[in-house]
Amino acid sequence: MTYFSTRNSSRPFTATAKLVRIHWPVLLTTCVLAAIGTITLYSVSGGSFQPWAERHTLRFLVALAIVVAMALVRLEVWIKLSYPAYAVALLMLALVPVFGVEALGAKRWIEIGQLSFQPSELMKFALVAALARYYLWLPTDRVGRWQYVLLPLLMVLVPVLLTLKQPDLGSAMVFLALGLALMFLAGVPRAYFAVAAVLAFAALPVIWSGLHDYQRRRIEVFLDPGMDPLGAGYHITQSKIALGSGGISGKGFMQGTQSQLDFVPEKHTDFIASIIGEEWGFTGLLFLIAAYAALIAMMTAMAWRSENRYAQLVIAGSATSFFIYVFVNLAMVTGLVPVVGIPLPLVSYGGTAMTTLMVGLGLAMSGYVHGRESRRSNLGPFW
Amino acid sequence: MPDRDDATRERERRFTRRSLILGSAQTAGFLLIGWRLFDLQVLERGHYAPLADENRIDLQILAPRRGRILDDAGRPLADNKEIFSATVTPASAKDLQALLARVRQILPLTDGAVAEIVQRSKKQNRSRPVMIASELTFDELAKLNLFAPSLPGIGTEATWRRRYHGGESIGHVVGFVGSVDRFGVDDDAVLRLPDTRIGKRGVEAGFESVLRGSGGTQKIEVDARGRMVRTLETIEPVHGRDVMLSIDADLQKAVLGRMQRERTAAAVVIDVKTGEIVALVSVPGFDPAAIASGISEAEWRKLATAEDKPLLNRVVSGQYAPGSTFKIVTALAALDAGVVSPDERISCPGHYRLGNRTYPCWKSAGHGDLTIHEALRCSCDVFFYEIARRSGIDKIAAAARRLGLGAIYDFGLTEEKAGIIPDRDWKRGNFNAPWLGGETLLTGIGQGYVQTTPLQLALMTARVAGGRAILPSIEKKTHSIEFAVLPFQPAHLDIVRNGMLAAVNDDGGAAEKARLGSGRPQIAGQAGTAALTARENVAQENGRQNSRRNHAIVVAYTPFDAPRYAIATVIEHTSTSDDTAAPLARDILNLVLDHDDASRIHKNTTGEGVAPPRGTGVPHTTETAG
Repeated sequence: MTYFSTRNSSRPFTATAKLVRIHWPVLLTTCVLAAIGTITLYSVSGGSFQPWAERHTLRFLVALAIVVAMALVRLEVWIKLSYPAYAVALLMLALVPVFGVEALGAKRWIEIGQLSFQPSELMKFALVAALARYYLWLPTDRVGRWQYVLLPLLMVLVPVLLTLKQPDLGSAMVFLALGLALMFLAGVPRAYFAVAAVLAFAALPVIWSGLHDYQRRRIEVFLDPGMDPLGAGYHITQSKIALGSGGISGKGFMQGTQSQLDFVPEKHTDFIASIIGEEWGFTGLLFLIAAYAALIAMMTAMAWRSENRYAQLVIAGSATSFFIYVFVNLAMVTGLVPVVGIPLPLVSYGGTAMTTLMVGLGLAMSGYVHGRESRRSNLGPFW
Repeated sequence: MPDRDDATRERERRFTRRSLILGSAQTAGFLLIGWRLFDLQVLERGHYAPLADENRIDLQILAPRRGRILDDAGRPLADNKEIFSATVTPASAKDLQALLARVRQILPLTDGAVAEIVQRSKKQNRSRPVMIASELTFDELAKLNLFAPSLPGIGTEATWRRRYHGGESIGHVVGFVGSVDRFGVDDDAVLRLPDTRIGKRGVEAGFESVLRGSGGTQKIEVDARGRMVRTLETIEPVHGRDVMLSIDADLQKAVLGRMQRERTAAAVVIDVKTGEIVALVSVPGFDPAAIASGISEAEWRKLATAEDKPLLNRVVSGQYAPGSTFKIVTALAALDAGVVSPDERISCPGHYRLGNRTYPCWKSAGHGDLTIHEALRCSCDVFFYEIARRSGIDKIAAAARRLGLGAIYDFGLTEEKAGIIPDRDWKRGNFNAPWLGGETLLTGIGQGYVQTTPLQLALMTARVAGGRAILPSIEKKTHSIEFAVLPFQPAHLDIVRNGMLAAVNDDGGAAEKARLGSGRPQIAGQAGTAALTARENVAQENGRQNSRRNHAIVVAYTPFDAPRYAIATVIEHTSTSDDTAAPLARDILNLVLDHDDASRIHKNTTGEGVAPPRGTGVPHTTETAG
């Protein structure tokens, strides 16, 4: 009971006041990123809004409207929905092996009537919400006790194991990184993380033997792209050539030879960054990274300004999930990590990841709108 | 409460501290990416730029040629035509207008076409080829290649185009190909080629892995203008294997010709010994050539949403209550369970009582006292209610499965449906309700929950006729397979076979109209009616009057004494089976036998089984070819 009441949310804001309190610069940055996506998709399809650029733009606008709508909903509603959302997501993940639809050799989708969706996507923001909800309830002096560390750890590990079984290595990694980051932010003592790191290192051989053949092959190919120039290695090699040939200033809008000539596969989804790099060069990619960094920095500032623990954690969680997507995607495109199916947020074509991240952002924005007393907090003059 | 405030403040501070640590880690991550990009794009540019532009080594995937689909005589039902198209790469051409002017001396290009090519090459990447003309004649191709050195930027491309022969008669069997919808990182590299077509329906889809083959690779060195300097290494593609089907193009055409007299119908003929499908037709159908040669979206939508569903292969995807044809199953189940003897007489007063409900016989006056043979002949419902009750649902379901119902055979037609053979577990699983006695009665005469496909019914008939658990095959068999003997006593099978013979050949038999003329081989069979369920009736209420009629179903095999062919026919929404589906079954079997005789004479060999005496005065011989 008491943990629902925060100083500010007991006195409701008017809708107009809420609109003013939304962090508009953050939303503006998402618009810039989505616009980069539209421009690149226009270029990829040889100078046409079809088949990708137009749909990408429409999807983003719908997602943006969802963020604003979610931001206006009182934070208590999201707090109350946190555990149920997690429970539903977990149930669906568990049911995927039973009712799931198989696509491309992996069972990840559930079909309900005409709609088909991946429960793992629902879990991405449900996990953040549930962990935030947990630490909202947990008194500060208990955060470090082992029983109270074990419970959130289970909340993270169960979905990780379920998605690993699908198999969906990408989502499992996102859950793990996101969950651990949130526990770290909530104040779990560092000694636990040190122990976990040692255990994980010791378990590497076990993990390797538990991987599927194709996953193992991807890692092997990553280490030696020459062994499979037409398969997974082909992606890495061609992506590197595209980036490298772009140079500092790039070849110019719609002039990329690698990407336009179909050398780069998946160029409209996971490998879209290699096209930006080829056509706009190092400068273009630096601008892209700067936009993401600004987005994440602004969201971190949003978390600092919030006085409600739940709001702090969902905002930080949303920022962290953006970081994970961007980092893993760019590391994959530049050949730093093996190929995993993780798109570039708001830029890659594809509705699933965009919806997930924008719903997370909507949750964070609601936290920001309702989770602080006044316009200016006493944390510091700048923030 | 200063304590609590202190705790809160400490927690805030810790959050800020930790998020700073996390933020530093994230900054480090971005710096790592930035450094990597600097390395790739600025420092290593000298290494990668040449790879992309000058003297680049292109790794091209060589498309395998798709295997052909042949009929049983080796005539192609689906094959490939090589077509050539001409392209221009603007980046390699100095003066596009002048170049196109020279090309016009070889290819007939209109002013409008030239303007469009120029327009398109401006809109897109300059090093991406633009199509000038497709389906070049051999003469045009030769000239283009001859003058190639003076036409920089002009290239020719060869692709395969799928062709189909036989039109609607082979549509549902062969299926068609279409472009690849989506492919992932780990998929076959061949799928990445824009011209690749993969099977979408029928044998094209079912034998995709065999037909496709695997891609080869070619490493070529190209100069700054995209012209080939030399080939460095070539690994030839492995072409797809041809698939020879068990159906015959001529027979399919003849069967289709007969079936087009019906509105919606399905028929399938199976070889009793080998399980090979001899003929398979579902009407209405489609011409795969029309679909493969680029169907417009409007036409496709019309096909896909038409009320009579021309894309539905009713032989494997149509699920119908088997009606009285299921009495074959009930009879065998009862004989096998020992609950009825061959001589036992059961009285039919025209109705049957179970509990406080009455179940009618189709003949309300009743059939009097009947043996199982007589009951099969006149298809008496009351007799089968009684023996179904005595056997129990689980024995009936087991017998149905042994005869091949309720299963998918995965033999190469991808749209196969399993149908339903209900039993206690099925009802518990689907309705969470116990099995009711009345449901056993309905199942016993092939109504209620039972659903079967025409293919399964033909298979059941073939298994009863031949006494072996054959499996269906659409591919022509190169060597004979010995199938297991059915787990029913030969004597019991004989009783059912004789009942089926009587149903066709005795006056007043249930499938009397399936009889062939005198001098022709004898046919044995059974006719059924699939009663539409109440729900279907309501759904059809607004439709045409015709749509509310029941489906007519007939199964049969011939010759009786040396079975070779088993058939199942279904006609949707029609009058009684005996008047519609039975003559259809008779006519098709007639066509099959005629075709058999013709090809035997042609090959001058004697086939398996007993050679049936050649009939005279048969009206349908003119429809067969050969």
